[in-house]
Amino acid sequence: MAITRRDALRKLVAGTASVAAASAVATVPLSTRAQAEEGPTVPPAAVGMLYDTTRCIGCQTCVVACAEANKLPPDTRLDNIHFAPADLSSFSKNIIKLYKPADGKTYSYVKQQCMHCLDPACVAGCMFKGLKKDPKTGVVGWTANLCVGCRYCEISCPYHVPKFQWEGFNPKIVKCEFCKERLAVGQQPACTTVCPTHAVIFGSREQLLAEAKTRIRQNPGKYFEDRVYGEAEGGGTQVLYLSHVPFGDLGLPKLPGESIPQKYLKWQKRVYSYLALPVVLYVAMVGVINGNFKKHKEHMKEEEENTGLRAQL
Amino acid sequence: MSDRWERNIPVYDVPIWTRPFQALLVLGALALGLVTYREIAGLGPASGMNDAYAWGIWKTFNIMVLTGLGSGGFAVGIAAWLFNRKRLHTVMRTALLTSFLAYASGLILLGIDVGRPWNFYWVLMPWKWNAHSPLLEVAVCMPAYAMFPLLLENFPPLFDWIHDKRPRFRARVEKAEKIMTRFYPWVVALAYLLPAMHQSSLGALMLLAGEKVHPLWQTPLLPLFYVWAAAYMGFACVAGSLLFCSLVWHRAVDLDVIAEMNKITANLIGYWLLLRFADIAVSRKLGLMFQANIYSGLFWMETIFLVVAVIMLVDSGRRRDAQLMFHGYLAAAFGGMLYRFDPTTLAFQPRPGAFYFPSAVEILISVGFVALAIAAFVAAAKAWAILPGPMRLWKSTEIKTQDEKAPVGKISSYAPAGE
Repeated sequence: MAITRRDALRKLVAGTASVAAASAVATVPLSTRAQAEEGPTVPPAAVGMLYDTTRCIGCQTCVVACAEANKLPPDTRLDNIHFAPADLSSFSKNIIKLYKPADGKTYSYVKQQCMHCLDPACVAGCMFKGLKKDPKTGVVGWTANLCVGCRYCEISCPYHVPKFQWEGFNPKIVKCEFCKERLAVGQQPACTTVCPTHAVIFGSREQLLAEAKTRIRQNPGKYFEDRVYGEAEGGGTQVLYLSHVPFGDLGLPKLPGESIPQKYLKWQKRVYSYLALPVVLYVAMVGVINGNFKKHKEHMKEEEENTGLRAQL
Repeated sequence: MSDRWERNIPVYDVPIWTRPFQALLVLGALALGLVTYREIAGLGPASGMNDAYAWGIWKTFNIMVLTGLGSGGFAVGIAAWLFNRKRLHTVMRTALLTSFLAYASGLILLGIDVGRPWNFYWVLMPWKWNAHSPLLEVAVCMPAYAMFPLLLENFPPLFDWIHDKRPRFRARVEKAEKIMTRFYPWVVALAYLLPAMHQSSLGALMLLAGEKVHPLWQTPLLPLFYVWAAAYMGFACVAGSLLFCSLVWHRAVDLDVIAEMNKITANLIGYWLLLRFADIAVSRKLGLMFQANIYSGLFWMETIFLVVAVIMLVDSGRRRDAQLMFHGYLAAAFGGMLYRFDPTTLAFQPRPGAFYFPSAVEILISVGFVALAIAAFVAAAKAWAILPGPMRLWKSTEIKTQDEKAPVGKISSYAPAGE
C-alpha cells in the first residue's frame, strides 16, 4: 500500500510530539535561569554616564573632545567651513542637539551617543560578534575583522546609534565605544572629562543611578516624571538621562521594560534550543521520504520498462 | 492526443541565442559593470541607502522577496516527497531550477551588498558564531542550502545531458547517480529543513527592528508568516513559470497537474490569511486596518491580491481555464511579494523624516541579476530536460554504445511524426 497523506501526516505529528517533549526538557534549564526571564544582568564593573539636561549649556566641548579622542574627521558637511554635525554619523560618535519647541517656552539641549544597553539589540543580531558587550565593563565595542558590514545593527538599534561609512571600499561601523582605549589606561571618556558644568559625568552605573535618584529626591518636580531614563528602558542602559522636558521630545524613545532581544527573540531561542527541534524534524522527514522514495524508484523502473527510456529523477 | 505531463523534455528546435536572450545578457553585463563602480566608490554613491534605511532593495527585494518566489523547490518538493503528491514530481525540475537560480543570484548580490564581505569566512567557524542571531541563521543556512542540497537536486538534468551527449562519461555518470540515489532521501530532507529554518529566520530578522516595523506587520508570528508565504509564493512561481513557458514555447499544459497545484496554493493562502487576521485581532490591532493611511492601504492591497488569487485559483481549477490560472498565480505572487517586502521597507518607519528610494544604479544591478537568472533558466530549459511535457514531444538523441541492448523500437514509437 502506498503511503497516504494521512500516514505522512501521522508520522510527522508523531515526530513533532517527541520533539515537543525533547524541547520541553531542553527549555527547563532556561526557565530555571532566573536572569534570563527577569531581565538582563548588569555587568560586574558596569561603567556609566549620567547626563543632566538642566546642567548642559550646549557648549559642544564634549563633541570636539570626542572627535579629537577618537581621531574622527570634522563633519563640515553643513557649509564646508564649520565643524557642525547635524546628527550622529560616520563622522561623529557624540553630538549635542537642541530641542526648542515652537512656543519658545522650555528648551533643552540633549547629548546623543551610544546608550550601551544592558541587553543590546545590535549585539543580539550581530553575526560574528563584531559588536560585542564587554563582559566586565559592559561597553559595546566594535571589532573590524569580525564585521561583515551587513548593517543589521542599524536596523535593530532603537536609538539610531551605529552608523556606517557609506563612502569607499573599506567601510567601518562608527559608534561611541565609551573611549574603551582610554578606559583601559584608567582614564575617563573624553566627553565626561571636558564638560565645564559637569552636565555629563562618569562613574559606575550603580553610583550614577544612586546620584540621579538623589538629585530627583532633592529637587522634586524638577525632572520629567521624577525618573531616570535608562534605568528600565529596553531592559536598562548604562548611559542614564535626567531631563526637565519629556524624554520623547529629546528623541529618547518610549521602550518597554523588556529588552528588544528578550521580547522578540524569546520564541526564536526556544525553537532552536540545542537544535533539538530541527534535528528531530530532519530525522522524521528522512523517514517519510525514504518510504516514498522506495515507491518512487519502483515507479521509475516501471516507466523505464514501459517507455524504453532512461528514467528521470 | 494527451497533454499529460509524462517526462521532462527539452524545448527542442528553438535557438538559445535569440534577441530577448541577448537583451537579458546585456542587462546582466550592465549590472556587473555597475558592481565594479559600487565596489570602488562605496555603497553611498552607488545606492539610495542611508543610516536610517540601511537595507536597500538588494536585501529587501532580491533576498526577502525573490527567495520567497524561489521557494518552489522547498514547497512543491514537500508536497511531492512528504505528502506524496505523485503528479507533482513532473514539475520538480522546474521548481528546483527556479529555486537554485533565485538563491544563487540573490546570494551573489548579498555579497555585493555587504560592506566588508572579506570577513564572511568566519561563517566556517561555528565557535565564532553568535548562535542567537537570526541573521547568523540566515547566513549559515541559506548558502548551505543553495550550495549543497539544492545544487545536488539540480544534478539529474545535467547527468541526463552528459549521459545523452557524452557517451564517454556514461559509466561515471551512472556511478555518480548510484551514489546520489543512495543518499537522496537525506539530501532531500535537508532541502526542506534548511529553507524552513532560513525562510522563517528572514521574518525573524525584522523582529529585532522592534517598533520600527509598523504594528500591522510586527508580530511574534513573523517567522511563521514568512516561511508560509514562501510556500505559496514558491507554488505560484513554479506554476506561473510553467504556464508562461508553455505559452511562449507552444508546449502542452497538463491542466490536471496545475489544477492540483491550484488547490494546494489556494489552501495555503486561505489558511495564511485566516491566521494573519486572527493574529491581528488577538493582539487588538484591528483598528489599524481602518485608519486612512499608507499602511492600511498596503495591508488591504496585500489582502486583496491574495483573496483575488484564492478566488481565481479555485475557479480556474474547476473550469480548467489556463489563462485564469495564470492570472491567479500572478495575484498570489504579487500578494506574497508585497507582504514580504512591506515590513522591510514600505511599512518600516525608522524615524520621522527618514527617506529611501533606490538609486538608478541600485535598480539596474538588482534587475541585472534577475535578468541573468532568467537567462540561465531559458538556456537550461532549451538545452536540458527541465520542463515537463507529454511523451510525444520526446526526441531521443541518445547515441547507443554497442553493448547496450536498448529497446530501440519502443523509442521510435514515441518519436514525433516525421522523425
